[in-house]
Amino acid sequence: MIIQRISRIISNYEMIMPLFAGAVSVLFVVAIFSLPLPYYEEQLYPKTIDPASPLNPYERGGPPFTQVTINDQYPENSPTAGYVTSYLTPFSWYLANTTLYLGTTIVAHPGGILDEILYNTRGLDTVVETTILFIAFAIASYLYRKG
Amino acid sequence: MEMSSLGGIPYYILEFGDELVYFSPYTVSLFLLALVFTMFAVMAKPERQVDIAFGGDAYYAKETSLQELRFRRFMAIACGFASMGAMLTGDIFNFTLFISLVGICNVGIVAAVKNRHVQNAAYQYGIVALSATVPLFGAAALIAATTGTLSMVELWSSATPAVPLVVKALLVLGVMGEGMAPFYAAKAEMFRAPGAPYVIMCSLSSLLIFLRVIEVVLVI
Repeated sequence: MIIQRISRIISNYEMIMPLFAGAVSVLFVVAIFSLPLPYYEEQLYPKTIDPASPLNPYERGGPPFTQVTINDQYPENSPTAGYVTSYLTPFSWYLANTTLYLGTTIVAHPGGILDEILYNTRGLDTVVETTILFIAFAIASYLYRKG
Repeated sequence: MEMSSLGGIPYYILEFGDELVYFSPYTVSLFLLALVFTMFAVMAKPERQVDIAFGGDAYYAKETSLQELRFRRFMAIACGFASMGAMLTGDIFNFTLFISLVGICNVGIVAAVKNRHVQNAAYQYGIVALSATVPLFGAAALIAATTGTLSMVELWSSATPAVPLVVKALLVLGVMGEGMAPFYAAKAEMFRAPGAPYVIMCSLSSLLIFLRVIEVVLVI
């Protein structure tokens, strides 16, 4: 009897989305309460803060166009890993050499903010970004179907 | 659980930068299945729907326009390539990327049919597939945060910390959402003429990503 009622609800495909969203929400609440909060110490991209650097807090270590330290999973496969992470255009290189505020300028940009979020959340921003995309899609599709 | 007891000993491990692609008996057989069905999608011609007028001997044959045929074939082939990638990859993040690409292609296959009923189902499926990316990528991010690596080869060795059970559950739930296309296709009665034969790619890719995620979850 109860199975009949459940199957009648699920057979309407417009009910699948709320059910799925409910399952995801429940699982996320369980994840937030059950996961250990400290992160794994040995991350792929080590970072040090150097307040004297003009690129602070964007400093990734090492001079531009040369190699910086990245903890590779398979270092033997990527002999050139880290060469591009501290890339600066000639203009940025000039700014970094003449002022002390290039790093804060970079961080004030949307891209720089996203990059800092990416770094400090160890990749959890992928969740935030997909959520933003999803909300944008939901709003656009609502407006499209309404009109 | 040991990798060798589950998917077989890898024949060959392709070293590709900071990631590995590995060919074990399990992944290779799933890859070949995806390859064969992609070839079918390349060669197949669309079915024509025939409506018989009741009470007479007249019937209407619905034509599929060349433009619609091209789009559906392209989506089916793209879906085939995405599932081939998801079968072989040895990196959790690439795996989730390929899975979400499979989901997007499935939305395209379902939505290409110009029929109000089918388009409503495709809309609902699109929302589920999009919201499934949140637990999917969330699981990948949490795996990176709790173990410090995304490589399946590193994760199945006992040197890294164990992946929490709830993170595996998030990964499976994300794949479930992306692979829900056959349900909507069946509800919109697409397996008969309107979507055939490209809609087979929906079912096959969903089956393949379910099979692969079982292996991934048991191994890591």
